[in-house]
Amino acid sequence: MFKELSPKKISMSEWSEQFKEIDTKTIKKFTYYNNKDWGVYLSPPATFMVYGVRELKRLKFDNSLASLRLWGFVFNESERLFRAKQSGKKIVATLGDLGTIPTIVMAFPDCIPFYPECIWWTPFFNESTVLLDTASELGTPEAACFSRATLAAFYKKAYFPKPDILFASSGASCDDYSCIMQLVEDLGYSPIWLEIPYRRRSRSYFTTDEYERTLSGLEYPKRFEHYLTNEYKKVWKEMAELTGIHDLELLRTSIKKVNRLRMLVEKIKELGNEAERAPFPALEMMVIEFGNLYGYADLDEWLDILEMVYQTIRGRVQHKVGVLSADAIPIAWVTPSAEPYLLNLVEDMGCRVVETEYVIHQALVEIEEDIDPFHALARSFLNASLIGSTEERVSRIRDKVHAGKIAGVLITNMLGCSHCAMETRLIEQKLNTVPVLSIDVPAPFAVTEQIKSRIAAFVETMKWAKS
Amino acid sequence: MIGYTCPYIPVELLAATGLKPYCLLHGDIQLSQDGEQYVRVDACPFVKSNLTHILNNQEKFAAIVGTTACDMSRRMFDVIDEMTKIPVYVLHNPRTDNPQIFSDEIDWLKSELEHLSHKKLSDDILAIQIDRWGKLREHFRSLDNKRAAHPSVISTSLFYKTATNYYQGNIDALPVVTETISDKPRVYLVGSEITYESSALLELLEQELNIVGDFTCGVSQFLSITVRKKTLEGIKQAYYCQPSQIYKRPNKEYYDYIKVQLETRKCKGIIAWTLDYCDSYEFESRRMEKNFGLPLLKIRSNFSFQNVSQLKTRITAFKEVLCSRS
Repeated sequence: MFKELSPKKISMSEWSEQFKEIDTKTIKKFTYYNNKDWGVYLSPPATFMVYGVRELKRLKFDNSLASLRLWGFVFNESERLFRAKQSGKKIVATLGDLGTIPTIVMAFPDCIPFYPECIWWTPFFNESTVLLDTASELGTPEAACFSRATLAAFYKKAYFPKPDILFASSGASCDDYSCIMQLVEDLGYSPIWLEIPYRRRSRSYFTTDEYERTLSGLEYPKRFEHYLTNEYKKVWKEMAELTGIHDLELLRTSIKKVNRLRMLVEKIKELGNEAERAPFPALEMMVIEFGNLYGYADLDEWLDILEMVYQTIRGRVQHKVGVLSADAIPIAWVTPSAEPYLLNLVEDMGCRVVETEYVIHQALVEIEEDIDPFHALARSFLNASLIGSTEERVSRIRDKVHAGKIAGVLITNMLGCSHCAMETRLIEQKLNTVPVLSIDVPAPFAVTEQIKSRIAAFVETMKWAKS
Repeated sequence: MIGYTCPYIPVELLAATGLKPYCLLHGDIQLSQDGEQYVRVDACPFVKSNLTHILNNQEKFAAIVGTTACDMSRRMFDVIDEMTKIPVYVLHNPRTDNPQIFSDEIDWLKSELEHLSHKKLSDDILAIQIDRWGKLREHFRSLDNKRAAHPSVISTSLFYKTATNYYQGNIDALPVVTETISDKPRVYLVGSEITYESSALLELLEQELNIVGDFTCGVSQFLSITVRKKTLEGIKQAYYCQPSQIYKRPNKEYYDYIKVQLETRKCKGIIAWTLDYCDSYEFESRRMEKNFGLPLLKIRSNFSFQNVSQLKTRITAFKEVLCSRS
């Protein structure tokens, strides 16, 4: 069995060396879809470099077995989806809502949800502009969110199998997604369109609407629950038609399982963020947060991986050890970076990420279990990061800034992305009691010295402010 | 004044408050650059311009009404809400076919406007406004028919100048337009907003071309609104059932509508006017070329006219293409 070493971030080559210590029994122990024949996924990161993930040679990874499982599982997703399709499972693309519709899909046996837009990391991991260039040839503007790679992935038909059904959410959210989905439809796909409501805050001069609050305290007009509930019932109906199954008890069970995942991730984050030393790297933590969207297409296995991550982190916290130095500067990260290397880089330059706003708040909150399940899903989605005001989006970070837990804020933007363009200045203003650095995520394999210098200056400013 | 931004906001309802409805259609390079104090450089120049205009003229607005039409404009209201004391009402304008949401949101707006104006906006009061605005639209439709005639006798530049009165709420006098016959190649204009400051663009285009129709906010989009039942329900129906905007999902209806317009107006080409970072049109320009099957001149702009010579050359070349095809 693999012996855990003292925690640190190691390179791909170091992982290859370390992997030799892992016995076959351990390798065979972990499988996706619980399939012992072809579901093995534990392999050193170098395996995936062979398949084109070239950035792995630059990245550093946590040296725990939990991390190895995490990366093997995440990089294996494409294979997993094709296997699922081949073995008769239904593949369901859920675009645009980032976190809620998969809960419905997963209620149906042998139905696998996935987010095609998560392919936005692929050009960066692969250090390749092929998908982005193809997207441009298909009509997307150059200055748009990197999720435009999604369009190219649908066009190339090589990154995930053809979905049996597509749910595309549009409305009071990011325009880039909505436009990409429309172009996907033009490729001959037939998405079922769903409406995302606007979470309109109550104002002192409003008199009419009855307002409600989500579990995390966000206000919304009560009738918006009803609209969303209807949309989720539409998803249920489509899925019931696809599978011939209509058992609401399955949905309740799915919600419970999703809640288990969300609570576990919350525990992991809390433990990591509050620890004296960072017990797990920011890159892995981002991967963990995004797993809340759909469990990387195998929720059971993902839950098991996260249990292992949790145990690893707990052990490290208890022993007061971690992957970063004790004096790493605590920062908040706003908007996820499509470039994974940036998360490594920021840590290498002396920061520690202790709070995040990765536009997926809706996927992090608990879903109520004691009310009608569709209603509960609606209320959980109404926590979404991008459907309300900037004030609501960053208030959690501001509270931590005021509590002295955050020394600086890093915002990673995408050029041309609608919410980045409009929100960033406001966010800078709202959090300006600490240094705020806003950078544009560069194209794949294009992190420049200029960006490094700006991060270095940000770190110096925080150090100066602290002293 | 009561500022508004979107063709789905019923102007009759705003006017019934006693305030003058003023469409926020500002867009020029200076306003846009000034807007970069509040939002990033890669925000839509139209949104940046309107934002600057509102912040510079706060005292003129009793309220502002917007919708969730596009993400950047929706977020503009967030900035206004943060930086001014102007009451801001943002309606959720559904992207998908969802008349119930639209109806409920108009009901909400009506109630809020009643509170703002201390007036009961009864169907009788609304009927007066429906008549006033309907009469004006009828007049503009007759002008539009002359614009679409073969040969066209009213230029879009002139139509646009008079339509400005509609957008700025100056609706008491029916505008008169000088007629001039044009035999230039007939084209149709689609795309981002034509702003109050855009007359130079239209004039430049019409030096070589004859724009015989358009589907743009700022010129004639309002013509498709016909309120048949003189009640709030009638307003809802007319505004909801107007030709679909490009950001609606799916947007097949938009393409179908434009195709009919191209045919009935006997257009030889299309001008696609796209503002920088306007996702709704930038993502669609390739599809437009494919779907409409006519030569398309794409003009992308940030409202600056620094490249006017180049633009002139492109327009002339486009004209030559159209002439060579007829």
